[in-house]
Amino acid sequence: MNCPRLKSWFSERYDFEEMKSLAKQKLVPIHKYEIWYYTGGIVLFLFIIQFITGMVLSFYYIPYFEQAHKSIIDIVTKLNMGWFFRSLHHWGAQIAIVVLFIHVWSTLLLKAYRKPREFLWFSGFILLGISIFFGLSGYLLLWDERAFAAVRVATGGAGNLPVVGEFIKSFLRGGIDVTGDTLTRFYAFHVSVLPLVTLALIGLHVLLVQYHGMSVPLSVKKEERKEIPFFPNLFYKDLVIWLVVLGIIVSLATFLPPEIGKKADPLAPAPENIKPEWYFLFLFQTLKLFPGEILGLNGETIAILLISAGIFFFFLIPFFDRKSQRGEKSTLFTWIGVIYFLYFVIMTVFGFIS
Amino acid sequence: MMKPMIIALAGILLSALNLFAQQDKIDVFPAVPYDRFIVYQNLIIFWIGIIGLIVIIKMKLREIERTQKMGIDKEEKDIPLLD
Repeated sequence: MNCPRLKSWFSERYDFEEMKSLAKQKLVPIHKYEIWYYTGGIVLFLFIIQFITGMVLSFYYIPYFEQAHKSIIDIVTKLNMGWFFRSLHHWGAQIAIVVLFIHVWSTLLLKAYRKPREFLWFSGFILLGISIFFGLSGYLLLWDERAFAAVRVATGGAGNLPVVGEFIKSFLRGGIDVTGDTLTRFYAFHVSVLPLVTLALIGLHVLLVQYHGMSVPLSVKKEERKEIPFFPNLFYKDLVIWLVVLGIIVSLATFLPPEIGKKADPLAPAPENIKPEWYFLFLFQTLKLFPGEILGLNGETIAILLISAGIFFFFLIPFFDRKSQRGEKSTLFTWIGVIYFLYFVIMTVFGFIS
Repeated sequence: MMKPMIIALAGILLSALNLFAQQDKIDVFPAVPYDRFIVYQNLIIFWIGIIGLIVIIKMKLREIERTQKMGIDKEEKDIPLLD
């Protein structure tokens, strides 16, 4: 389709030639680890899917504790393709968090956080935290007994933090316990607060990637790499991967639609063998390792403090890894990354089978 | 007198069995076989579409890389314009 009048109308107002030449000038390094560059693009694509499916679901969802559960059943059973959009939203979230974890660990192992890309690491890490909170807040919206119990456990765990714990717990719950107020609050987080913060952070993250360019691992020698234009070469490769990811999510949504449990009853006891979502299992399993009391102190509080310290260290890695800052290989931090990864995987598997 | 009592008792026991029955699962996928068939059929068509698009993009990319290798992808600045 060629519309010369439309083109000239736009080109009189906007300098398209300048934009085109800018897109063509952007070069991307190509080497043996280039596969990890695509994980960021996949996450971006999955976020777009989440925004679209989430908007569709929000047309019909009722964020009130007496009707929330029924409204989801109506979406799934009465609306045309409602089951599909809900399932797509569910699997999109699961895969987005998996790919986000892969993206963060590949960044860590390739030392892509090193000077001058510290803010890229921080913004990406915060985005991972926000995505996990997206998952938790979205899980409660189902308002079934498992989601209710899982959120009660998760927010109760945050309450064990010294000094600020009680404040965080009551802020998240909107009261002393998980109630209808928590549902309203989590809905607000899920559809307005978190999306706004996410959009701002994605914007900053992408802007910083454009500003600094792609990081090349230290182990890749100059003669081993070449550069290709982002547009069209890498963009087309991204498109191919996005299509495959879309196919996988649609297939998962069709073959494994998520179940809906019984409506939550705040007065009923928690169902047996209650487990949180898979990305919280390592925390859940770690808490189980600690006894109720250690040297007269609350064991759970000590566990939460140690986990928080571990996550905080992970967050500040660009400052601790001095060797990478100087452009030298730092084997120690590769091992730290591997240990973190193994701990996460082993504890998640244990949490799943126990 | 015994007969109605036995019937009533049997009725109570039968209805009490419902307490042990598992709660019906909510259908999260179309339950009608014809609807299921349509969904699976559309999934196959969707995958054929994805594979087709991937083949087209790959062919286009190969062509772009070929022209880039030959160095004929750049526009000449002083090329005369034909009106």
